[in-house]
Formats: sequence, structure tokens, C-alpha cells
Amino acid sequence: MSEKNETQVQQSVQGKVPEIKDGAVIVETPSTWRTIKREFLKDKVALVSAIILAVVFVTVIIWAFFIPRSAVTNVNIIDQYLTPGTQGHLLGTDEQGRDQVKMLIASARNSLMIAFMISIIGQFFGVIVGLITGYFRGIVDTIIMRVIDFWIVLPFLMIIIVLVSIVPKYNEWTLIWIIGLFAWQGTTRLIRSKVLSEADRDYVRASKTSGSSNFMIMFREILPNLASLIIVDTTLNFAGNIGIETTLSFLGFGLPNGTPSLGTMVSAATDPTVLATKPYVWVPPVIFIIVICVGISFVGQVFRRAADARQRLG
Amino acid sequence: MTVLMEIKDLKVHYPIRSGFWNRITDYVYAADGISFTIEAGKTYGLVGESGSGKSTIGKAIVGLEKITSGQILFNGEDVSKPSVRRKMKYNKDVQMIFQDSLSSLNPKKTIYQIIAEPIRNFDKMDKESEKQRVIQLLDIVGLSKNAMFQYPHQFSGGQRQRIGIARAIATNPKLIIADEPVSALDLSIQAQVLNFMKRIQKELGISFLFISHDLGVVRHMTKNIAIMHLGRFVELGTREDIYNNPQHIYTKRLLSAIPQIDIANRDANKAKRAQVEAEYQEKRSHFYDQDGLAYPMHQISDTHWVSTPPTNISEGAGK
Ligand SMILES: Nc1ncnc2c1ncn2[C@@H]1O[C@H](COP(=O)(O)OP(=O)(O)O)[C@@H](O)[C@H]1O
Ligand SMILES: [Mg+2]
Repeated sequence: MSEKNETQVQQSVQGKVPEIKDGAVIVETPSTWRTIKREFLKDKVALVSAIILAVVFVTVIIWAFFIPRSAVTNVNIIDQYLTPGTQGHLLGTDEQGRDQVKMLIASARNSLMIAFMISIIGQFFGVIVGLITGYFRGIVDTIIMRVIDFWIVLPFLMIIIVLVSIVPKYNEWTLIWIIGLFAWQGTTRLIRSKVLSEADRDYVRASKTSGSSNFMIMFREILPNLASLIIVDTTLNFAGNIGIETTLSFLGFGLPNGTPSLGTMVSAATDPTVLATKPYVWVPPVIFIIVICVGISFVGQVFRRAADARQRLG
Repeated sequence: MTVLMEIKDLKVHYPIRSGFWNRITDYVYAADGISFTIEAGKTYGLVGESGSGKSTIGKAIVGLEKITSGQILFNGEDVSKPSVRRKMKYNKDVQMIFQDSLSSLNPKKTIYQIIAEPIRNFDKMDKESEKQRVIQLLDIVGLSKNAMFQYPHQFSGGQRQRIGIARAIATNPKLIIADEPVSALDLSIQAQVLNFMKRIQKELGISFLFISHDLGVVRHMTKNIAIMHLGRFVELGTREDIYNNPQHIYTKRLLSAIPQIDIANRDANKAKRAQVEAEYQEKRSHFYDQDGLAYPMHQISDTHWVSTPPTNISEGAGK
């Protein structure tokens, strides 16, 4: 098809103006969505993960909406540690006598939302700083990259714990920003290296000679070409950030009291008797965390393959 | 015969950086003392093997590369400073066509957005006139107006290069730098794109600086040819000067490298090439200084300039 079209023009052009106005040759390159769909069909595990994740996320978000705040804050010692199935508590109750199902849903909502916000903050700053240093290069780039090299080797969990302990008015937004402070460096590096190669492509030069400003070139020309990379990075960081928040909450330096988190739920297991004799208290949140994080990483792998043709399965 | 552009002693030296703080440790002398003049409406050819600094000169002229020293005068005004170029909307008048047509079109933009970009930035037009102008440009390069809504990967190499041409001529420029515009295309499509450029050059009266590594291609495009090697011009003249009376060993070598479809004389051609190569190796120390760089050019006729060692001008020219 393409051959034929070109030769026609070729003949008509010899010496004079071509009469045929040729349209696009149908060189079918599948759209990103089509590629993602095909990769999912090739990878059944990822497909199942995606379905589970979608069901879990939707359930958590909608259900959490109907759980009153009192259900997760009220203390009712009489109902302490009820076994699953008793008095209508499907998964039993915890130390404070709260229903474990409601706790799980409310905690999951908080943990997911916080991880999501941190990922957004990390992507926002990571992408902007990466675009600027990769595009302008030079001395600013050298300095910022040295700072990031240094920042990445810092023991960030320790620093977060110190910050969390010394910040006076402390709520979930404080936690989000403190973790966010350490969430953008990896993204910056990734974006920067991609921008370095994109900025050396001729379409950027053509944009310069077309009179577009640096700002326009960075955000309107280069940024759209980073879209798939950003999606992959956000997905994988999201799983990582769930891990960081739950770890901190587990250690007691995460969400403040009264804001349940999956990490706080798991920390019930620090009591040796609970750990040994009451697995129904801490096993559900552990399973929840594992399912979510493993599922996200499977889905993330599909996005990554779809974004990078060399890794594709089909 | 109005002079459009004058390049005076242009030097572009790229720093080579290394070490922890990325300090400058050396330079690449990509363009090293280049001078020439471009007249309105004329086409010029710039030839040399890969790495000789052709693209560097082209990029310096359109303002994509910072120049180390020298002057670029456009209509008598020095345009080597970015602020000057921006103020006078320099790139409305001086445009570029790139070698790799795929890389030069943003894969995420439609053909309409690509062609309209210079129009939006340089000619303020209302939406409707802008659209009419894009359709007209597509028509000039022989593409249907449906192409507007499509993306670069949906076109063949030759069509993409024509889209690049449409973008370059969108603002009615006075000079276009065409940097190896066909060398990435199939041989069968090269002629088609070259014919397009020739036609557009004639009809619109645009000056062209046509860059190529292939003397065989340049012959079809222009009468005025400059040969460069390792950042310097080694020979400059008309088509006749260069093809019929080459003076520099490097020019002779480039000429002998033009592919010949001449089966009857294949052996003779091969022997000729070997002889030219032998001459090149033998006389290299004579034609280049101790650093391996070409000497300044001297005029040997009205139109013909050649780089020769300072003491042996007559000997070098007499051959
Ligand atoms: N941005 C750059 N930094 C350092 N060296 C460069 C850069 N661009 C080109 N060069 C070097 O300058 C020389 C000339 O390159 P170029 O102008 O692209 O040659 P040509 O177009 O004739 O092939 C080459 O040696 C090349 O490696
Ligand atoms: Mg080049």
C-alpha cells in the first residue's frame, strides 16, 4: 500500500507538479490504549490484578463514605477481641472492640488516599524539576543533580521519623508533605534522563526555529512525550508509597491517633499474645497490603511494557 | 544581486566536558573560520563528509547553536545575539529543514498543529485564515487537506519530509537551511523531494543553503558549491569549477566517491578511485598544516577559491 502510493507520486512528480494529492499512507501504529489492552490480554496475571484492584478501590472508596467516624474512634472494651462471626462482626473486633471490617475499609481509604497524594506531589515536583534540569542542562543541572545524589543516600525513614516527632501541629497533611519531601528525587532523575534525549531530537529544534518559547517547548512539546513514562512511574511509586506510609504508621510515626491506617492495624501484632493467638486481628490488613502492592506492580509492569516497545510480549 | 546574508570568520567550538564538576577540558573545532555570502534567491551547496561541521554551520545560521566568534549579518544586521534575533523575528525569515523527518516532527502533535506553530508565533492570524494557510501549504507540498488531522507516524518518509518543507515555508522565509534533507530517504523518493525543493525555491524565490555529504546530489540542486573538511572550507566555486576543475585533493576525493552506475567502465573507475586515494594520501601533508587542518583559501579565478599552503600558491593552483 505504502509502496504503491509513493510510486504514483514519484511518477507524477518527475519534472512537474504532482496532480495527485496523497493522504496518509495507512502505516497502522496502534494507539497507546490498544497496546495496553493487548499487553493485558497477553498477561493474564496482570489482567486479574487489574480487575481485583479496580473492585477493591471502588469498594473501599464507596463503602468508606458510609462509615461514620464514631465507628472507628469509639472504644467499647466489652466487645474486645471478638472472634470472627460473633455478634455480626464478620472479621471480629480489635482491642478497642471496633468492627474489623469497618476498620479495614476506613484504614484502606486513608492509606490509599495518602499514598495517592504523596505520589501526586512526588510526580508534580519530580516532573517539573526533571524537565527544567534536563532541558536547560548546564550549571543548574549539575548542581541540582549533585544535591539529589546526596539526598537519595540520606536515611530518609529516620529523617521522616525525626520530622514527624518535632512538628507541633500534626495531621495527615503534614505527614503527606513530609513524605512528599523525599518522593520526587527518583522521578526527577528518570524524567531528566528522558528529557535529555528528547531535547536533542529535531522536533525541539524545529520548535525553537518556529519561535516557541522555552516554556512552551518544555510543557507543550516535550511533556506529552513523557506521558507514558509518567504513568508507569506514578503507578510503581504509588505501591511504594503505600509501603512507606504503612511502615511509618506501624512504627507509630505515621497517621495521628483517630485516623486509622493499615499500618496501625498491623501494629496490633506487636503484642505477642495477639500475634500468636489472635491472627484474625492482624492478618486481614497484611493480606490487604500484599494484594494491593503486588497487584499494582503487575499492572505497572504492563504499563511499562506498553510504554517501551522493546519489552513487549505481543 | 542583493546580499541577504554575510558570514564572517564564523567559529563554533564545542566544549568537551569531563570530571565530577563537568569542567571544560578541551574543544571540538566544528566550524573554524568560515566566511561566505548568500545572495537573495540563490541556492548554495555545502558539501563535506560526515563530521566536517556542515550541520554546525547550518545550526549557527538559524540560531540553534551559539557561535564562539565571528559575525552573521542578515540584511546588514548582526544577528549572532539571541536577543537581537528575537526582537526582529529572525526565524520568520530564516528556517530549517532537518535530516531526519521522523525526529523533526513531534509524534504527539497533528500535522495541523505542527505546520501552524510558526504561523501562530510569527504571523498573527485569525483561526480561519490560519486554517486556510495550512491547507494551502499542504496543497503546495502535494498533500491532501485530510492530512491535517493525522499524526507524523501515519506518513511515509518522503511525505514527512514534505510536511517539514511545508512548515519551513509557512512564514514565507527568505532563507532556508536544508540539512541533508534527503539522505535519510529511499533512493527512489530522493528525486521526488529534491524536485519539490527546487520548484519551491524557484516559485517562491527563497535562498537555499543545501547541505549534503554527496556531491552527486548537490550537482542537481545548485550552481554554487563550497567544500568543507574538518571545520574549514577547502574549496569554493561554481559547479563547473568544482566538477571540471577541482584543485583540492579533498574535492577530488569526494568527486571520485560519487557512485557510478557505469558497468562497462567499472574496473577503470575503480582504478581511478584508487589513484585519487593514493594522491590524497601522498599530498596530505602538503595540503594540510601540521595539525591536519586546511589552510586559508586563496582566489584563483573570478569564482573559484581554494585552500593552499601559503608558500606554494602558484604550484597548488597551477595543476
Ligand atoms: N553538541 C555538540 N557537542 C560536542 N561536539 C559536537 C556537537 N555537535 C557536533 N559536534 C562535533 O562537531 C563536529 C561537526 O559536527 P557536525 O556539524 O554535525 O558535522 P556534519 O553535519 O558535517 O556531519 C563533529 O566532530 C561532531 O562530533
Ligand atoms: Mg550533519
